[in-house]
Amino acid sequence: MRLRLISCEIFFREMCALIARSPHTIDVEFLPKGLHDVGTAEMHARLQAAIDRIDNTPYDAILLGYGLCNNGIVGLTSRERQLVVPRAHDCITLFMGNASRYMDYFETHPGVYFTTTGWIERGGADGELSQLALGKQLGFLQTYEEMVARYGEDNARYLQEELGNLTRHYRQFTFIEMGIEPDGSFEERTRQDAAGRGWTFEKVQGDLGLLRRLLDGQWDETEFLIVPPGFQIVAKYDEGIIAAEPAG
Amino acid sequence: MSLFEEMQQAIIDGKAPVVKELTQKALSEGIKPADIFPKAIVPAMDEVGRRMRDCEFFIPEVLIAARAARAATDILRPLLVGDAAARPAGTVVCCTVKGDLHDIGKNIVAMMLESAGFRIIDLGADVSAEKIVDAVRAHDANLVAMSALLTTTMVNMKSVIEALAAAGLREKVKVMVGGAPVTESWARSIGADGYGKDAPAAVDLARSLAAA
Repeated sequence: MRLRLISCEIFFREMCALIARSPHTIDVEFLPKGLHDVGTAEMHARLQAAIDRIDNTPYDAILLGYGLCNNGIVGLTSRERQLVVPRAHDCITLFMGNASRYMDYFETHPGVYFTTTGWIERGGADGELSQLALGKQLGFLQTYEEMVARYGEDNARYLQEELGNLTRHYRQFTFIEMGIEPDGSFEERTRQDAAGRGWTFEKVQGDLGLLRRLLDGQWDETEFLIVPPGFQIVAKYDEGIIAAEPAG
Repeated sequence: MSLFEEMQQAIIDGKAPVVKELTQKALSEGIKPADIFPKAIVPAMDEVGRRMRDCEFFIPEVLIAARAARAATDILRPLLVGDAAARPAGTVVCCTVKGDLHDIGKNIVAMMLESAGFRIIDLGADVSAEKIVDAVRAHDANLVAMSALLTTTMVNMKSVIEALAAAGLREKVKVMVGGAPVTESWARSIGADGYGKDAPAAVDLARSLAAA
């Protein structure tokens, strides 16, 4: 098959490793990890634009390297081609290899922040995207000095307390090792970050299986949603997570 | 500018120490504590809500205004105990749902509801359905306001509504939901009574639900 992959750059190393070994011919466009921070409407618009700008190469399917991602993929549609989308809330399912393993871990490990190579080395919202980031729009991302100038010292101290640390309830870094890391440096960096914040550290083994099946064309419907041409993605909030319905 | 107008302006400007001072001044001038709510605090916070809706105010401005309003309510609350004229607009149990640790939005909604005259039972973040049921019962609440920031945790809102029903409390309380991934249709699908897309909308919703 000839496939087109549109993927979040958080999977850069994983996707490249899997594309190299896929039986299919896969073209790929990576989109910035910062789309995670710009809100549902903007993320949707950027992803839809990536679908719409695909040329007339006879692709058999468009693969999305995304989870539901805070509803950022809801409404995506292609007129001519089928979309294949993993049934996942977010990228952690794709790193862990299946949704139930992620949910089990999520429920038994409150306050965990996950890291992977892509999380560590790929940018947050930078450049043009940083201006669109919700935190910026909502006024979160000001320095203490800016807040003092704007709201006075007393208020700035209060705001620092309320907004300064968005991860104040988190208490652990979990590094997901995918087996594609060049060395131990990414793990080490996560260990250091954990120590710096006084958080615990854990390493879990990731599983490339789900991403591999996406790229290899093994699209079992329990794991993947196939969106026929002219249909769009909708969120379901049940076991299936997402579904397809006729585009309006 | 009247004293009430001065208080309103100080709340809107987020000047907590000024609000505190003016509240004490009002009381020393013989103004009834129960009058300060509808004449100063509520209109000021309604204006803050309007500015937020119109994108003139962002989260920091809203937070410091709510904090300034709290400087007044902290003084007034103890004076209002047992005052029939100052019955709270309703009692709201609020929290983020089980598994969800993101509470900034919930905190803002709680503060805005408080300054709109609601009694707030804030259970914090990552709260189980059982705790919510217990709190509704213990505080005789008529509203539950819960939020989730993740699609993984918003499903837990449904469990809360089911737990309220199982405890025989569903008829007694209105349930409102909010948070980034939450939508009107999700609220309807789980049987919630309303969805607030932001803090000012949550205040409007709480008012209409409490009046219903």
